[in-house]
Amino acid sequence: MLSTYEQIGFIVLVIVCLSLAFGRFRQIYQIVSRGGKMDRFDKLISRFVTTLIEIGLQKTISKARPFVSFMHSFIFFGFSFYLLVNVNDILEAYVAGWTTIGAGSIAGVFNLFADLFSVLVITGMLFFLYRRFIKKPKVLEFNANVKLHPNVAAGGVKKDSLIVGIFILIHVGSRWMGTALHLAENGHTDAWLPTASILSGLFTSWSPGALETGIHVTWWLAMGLIVVFLPYFPSSKHIHMMIAPVNLALGRQTPRGAMDAISDPTSPGATTLTDLPWPQVLDTWACIMCTRCHEVCPAHESGTPLSPSALEINKRYFVRDKATDVINGSADLPMLDYAISDDALWSCTTCYACVQVCPVGNEPLMDIVELRRKQVFDAKMPDELADVLRSLDEQGNSFNESARKRSKWSKELDFKIKDATKEPVKYLWYVGDFASFNQNCQDTTRKVAQVLNAAGIDFGIMGKGEKSAGNDVRRVGEEGLFEVLAEQNIESIQKCDFEEIFTTDPHTFNTLKNEYPKLGGEFEVKHYSSLLLDLIQQDEIKLKKNLGMKATYHDPCYLGRYNGVYDAPREVMKLCGVETVEMPRNKENSFCCGAGGGRVWMPDHEDMNQRPSENRIEEAVSVGVNNFTVACPKDMTMYADAVKTSGHEADMAVMDIIDYVMDAMDLPEPTVEAGADEAAIQV
Amino acid sequence: MKIVVPLKQVPDLVEDLEVDATGKALDAEEVKLKLNEFDDQALEEALLLKESGAADEVVAMAFDGEDVDKMLFTAIAKGANKAIKLNGSSPTDIHQLAKAFANAVATEGFDLVMAGVQSADGRDGHLGPIMAEYLSVPCISVVAGVSVSGGQATVQKEYSGGMLGEFEVDLPAVLGIQAAAQAPRYAPVSKVRQIQQTETIQEMDAGDLGAGAGSAISSMAAPEKGLGAKMLDDVEALMAVLKDKGVA
Repeated sequence: MLSTYEQIGFIVLVIVCLSLAFGRFRQIYQIVSRGGKMDRFDKLISRFVTTLIEIGLQKTISKARPFVSFMHSFIFFGFSFYLLVNVNDILEAYVAGWTTIGAGSIAGVFNLFADLFSVLVITGMLFFLYRRFIKKPKVLEFNANVKLHPNVAAGGVKKDSLIVGIFILIHVGSRWMGTALHLAENGHTDAWLPTASILSGLFTSWSPGALETGIHVTWWLAMGLIVVFLPYFPSSKHIHMMIAPVNLALGRQTPRGAMDAISDPTSPGATTLTDLPWPQVLDTWACIMCTRCHEVCPAHESGTPLSPSALEINKRYFVRDKATDVINGSADLPMLDYAISDDALWSCTTCYACVQVCPVGNEPLMDIVELRRKQVFDAKMPDELADVLRSLDEQGNSFNESARKRSKWSKELDFKIKDATKEPVKYLWYVGDFASFNQNCQDTTRKVAQVLNAAGIDFGIMGKGEKSAGNDVRRVGEEGLFEVLAEQNIESIQKCDFEEIFTTDPHTFNTLKNEYPKLGGEFEVKHYSSLLLDLIQQDEIKLKKNLGMKATYHDPCYLGRYNGVYDAPREVMKLCGVETVEMPRNKENSFCCGAGGGRVWMPDHEDMNQRPSENRIEEAVSVGVNNFTVACPKDMTMYADAVKTSGHEADMAVMDIIDYVMDAMDLPEPTVEAGADEAAIQV
Repeated sequence: MKIVVPLKQVPDLVEDLEVDATGKALDAEEVKLKLNEFDDQALEEALLLKESGAADEVVAMAFDGEDVDKMLFTAIAKGANKAIKLNGSSPTDIHQLAKAFANAVATEGFDLVMAGVQSADGRDGHLGPIMAEYLSVPCISVVAGVSVSGGQATVQKEYSGGMLGEFEVDLPAVLGIQAAAQAPRYAPVSKVRQIQQTETIQEMDAGDLGAGAGSAISSMAAPEKGLGAKMLDDVEALMAVLKDKGVA
């Protein structure tokens, strides 16, 4: 028990520190509530219960870095239990005779947990300090060209990590040592306190007075310190333990593939932090600065100046500096000044890997889209992107080709595809821009048609009635053009008589499935991999040959990570007799080809040291296969290029799933004369 | 300082151009219209002058026609202060077109007219010079850079071979713009939609069109196709062809 002076002193300390901390927490609330509107307060109980279960099972952190996550669980469970320990220690300080030592089996179990968790927390914390300050893994660093807030560049994160780490060691270490001193004072060990009992051996020679002083000092180092640290918490990375659960509970529950619409069409997007919807402002404090997001980011991995991690960390260091100014609205600076550079903004492929991997539910990708929206509204964007948007506006496709030529690829077939705008069809095929116009993709497109035709499937296309579906238009931030394209497409589709839509393009699939319904276009839509699987299983597509080959499969971001379609393409491969050899990064953790989010329309950043697509081809080579399977027209063009530029043209064939189906059906290759398109060059 | 930019729609070259039954014009059914790219450059250069503070007002002007409203609203969305639509259909005769624009520009008032140096369908580069003549002001064409100060414009004229000549010209004047200092900006669709709801396009009478040039197209035809080239894959294929032709 503390002396009366100590008891009063502790209460005064608590009052002072709590009120200081309260001011800091209030600032967080004030800044977050300046953010844009977003309704996340539905089903509150279920949101929090689900989140607590997920955190209890450490689900969100276990998505990556298994060993690090395991070490983190030591600290997490230890700290959680320490809430009880702290309550007990206060009772011990204020209630005469209160002790858990030798107080029966319930208290014994409590002691056992406290004892073991103390050691686990210390172990975990020493590991993290070792990792950050001695081992220094490269993943914790930013590419040299990444924009950093001055205080981040000056080593702010390291300093904060050190302070928090030492705090945890002293807090838990002192409590552990205090228990050992108690045991030494009692003159015996305790089976419920195995490690403290061992430690108590160090103090057997101490005088009763010295032990008593030691007990008081360790109490203050454990309990006094936590109180002194309260005001520091809200501006340290340690605040994640309070904000992350809230952030996770109030997270997005709408489909991943459905972007938030703009709230104010006259001033779309964001310039400053508080222009962002409030959940994204809250991300600022949820971030624990683990850099898992930039570890999986294709833009950061390839050397460009984009680090989603730096974006969140810069936000935090900005509000650390300017909280008052942000609250009174006097100096909420543009995020492009401190959080992310303009060229980094355009480096994002919107692959969703950063959001998927984030253990605390942050969405840096959404910040990027909001910032892009504002840039596009102010006509500030790469010239190449402006040209493509103009083409999409004028021609309805990104290739600046006449809308009339959209179905030109089908002219080389020896049968005619039904015009779904003129006659009823069972399946309406939404071909998409790349499959229609890109020369690397047209063979694949024709094969899809051949397979369906040979199987006697009733399908048709919309020809010039189909425009770009607008998925990536929306993701570069051109919301107005997206809406126009979607409205025109919905009108075209609604004029057709069909049962179901299928599309060869995952990007198109995503927006049709997740975004068109909000604009009045509710359709049954499938990716062609799912359709092929259905048709094979229903024996409408008859496979005659077992191909007996091995291949790897690349999950397209907008099919896999966004929409959870992982099995259909793999099943199709299996039914064709193609054994899937997985790459290390597969399914949820698939690595983007680098084309999404409008990247395919813009030139590579000059700092890019290896294209994401080349990186991926090397990954495929490393698993010992010679066939790289895709199910996305953009992938076909990206990887057809990447096998050449990475020097693997001879040992890696880029295959579309339709290639296997066609072979397994034993259909002849399309009889297209080589270079028929180019044959008539005028002289 | 006030800049007027006359805009014109021309056939979009992404479409296959077809000559109609008369053999004297393009088949209007098959033609899709878009803003003449040099006019887009002229508008961009005018907007840059406005943004630099050298000009106070940019007025976009065009003859009525299909999608012209969208084109003019787009000009406002990009930063033009005002848009004027001339009633009636756009004359195909360049003298009449120049006269109509000159009438409108005189009514509106101007310090600089910045026209595209030529149009994809006209290919004569006459609009600027003829307007200047009607307005009795100087004209410089094939301009690739403009700055303005104290009642004078300094312009860079681009000669063949990339040589640049610098001119000083008293205002008011007419310039035929070849290229702006930066690529024409993109007008976001949501901004154009917003402008459509909040702004109005001023209408103006085209006035007396004059006699015109007195010349007319007597026939129009697509270039004759050659026999075509064949792309060969390798040296063996080339040798086979050469042997076949008896040269190897």
